[in-house]
Amino acid sequence: MDDKSIANMAVLAGEIMLRSGAETYRVEDTIKHILDTAGTAETESLVMLTGIIVTIDRPGQEAVTVMRRVHDRGTNMHRIVEVNEISRKYCAGDLSAEETWEKLKKIKGKQYTVWMYNLVTILVPAGFAPLFGGGLREILAAGGAGIVLAVLMTIGKRVKTGAFILNILCAAGIAVAAVFLKLWNPLLNMDTVIISGIMPLVPGVAITNAIRDTLRGDYISGGARALEAFVTAAAVAIGVGAGMALTTVFWQGGGL
Amino acid sequence: MMELFLVTAGCFLAVVGFAVLVETPGKYLLQAGFAGACGGWVYFFGMQKGLDTVPACFLSALVISLLAHIFARIFKAPVTVFLIAGILPTVPGAGMYRAVYYIIADDRARSSYYLIQTLEIAGVIALAIFIVDAVFRIRVPHRQEKRKS
Repeated sequence: MDDKSIANMAVLAGEIMLRSGAETYRVEDTIKHILDTAGTAETESLVMLTGIIVTIDRPGQEAVTVMRRVHDRGTNMHRIVEVNEISRKYCAGDLSAEETWEKLKKIKGKQYTVWMYNLVTILVPAGFAPLFGGGLREILAAGGAGIVLAVLMTIGKRVKTGAFILNILCAAGIAVAAVFLKLWNPLLNMDTVIISGIMPLVPGVAITNAIRDTLRGDYISGGARALEAFVTAAAVAIGVGAGMALTTVFWQGGGL
Repeated sequence: MMELFLVTAGCFLAVVGFAVLVETPGKYLLQAGFAGACGGWVYFFGMQKGLDTVPACFLSALVISLLAHIFARIFKAPVTVFLIAGILPTVPGAGMYRAVYYIIADDRARSSYYLIQTLEIAGVIALAIFIVDAVFRIRVPHRQEKRKS
């Protein structure tokens, strides 16, 4: 394979990882390893949260540079593990460049069924309820809030709203559900239900990656991810606030 | 005692559930759940023994990231796979919610108390991850030499 194809392959691997929520330094590392396997050449990779730049420079030849803008980012551990394994095999010489390219192209996104996702969206709030001081009643109620969350998330995925709006809507839905459950059963601890309900939404991934990027000295990506975490947290907080405020105003008469 | 069991089991299920949400491969689900359950256990046990929230979170995050690094070495997978799902019980969702709740309830003093607490928890999680990362990074040069040869 020529340098151009190698650079393209490295960028593809990096793009998949970056889209799947890998830490920036890990993406840079993987790209560098793939490029260096090609042989004696000056190679550089610069990865930021929003884009990748790769260059291969051989003495006496024009430098090959590939740049890729990365727009949307989610979290997908499956793809990170796959790219990691493939690049490791390639660097060890177990895979040829062509095979690696084919394998990278074939990496799939989803690996569980829609029902599985909905089931775990209910399971996460129910499971966290005891941690936040809930008993059996709160576990069931949190499961109920989880059902609302699952429905909202499914609708949100179909409509393709932005992550910010979707987070607000989901958090508001949980808050409304919790207030209604509280009205139905006054003994219920509403706080526990809401806190457990928003657990699938809180920016744990962004916080963790922000910390790890910052501590590796990658301040641009670390700062960007910290901002991402803050924005998500703000969206969830606004959603919960709006949901509670709305229900208090409309169904309990009286202001805040 | 019963409560502690319930919390640990709940954390296990919840973290496995979250791991599915972030598409963790099936073979790593249980390990991630185990790390999360240990974290939840440490947190709740600490709280029961009268620890404050922030130190309890620190210990819990320390245990989780330690386990994540150990699992990553044993099962040859990136640390993130175990860390992201596992750290979830420690993430300050409760503090965030309470800060907003008291803003709505017009109680600024308590709202800022919980806001500061949230930032503190985020800080100690960072510290815990940093400590464990730094400890395990001492070996990294070794591995890279191997890889190149």
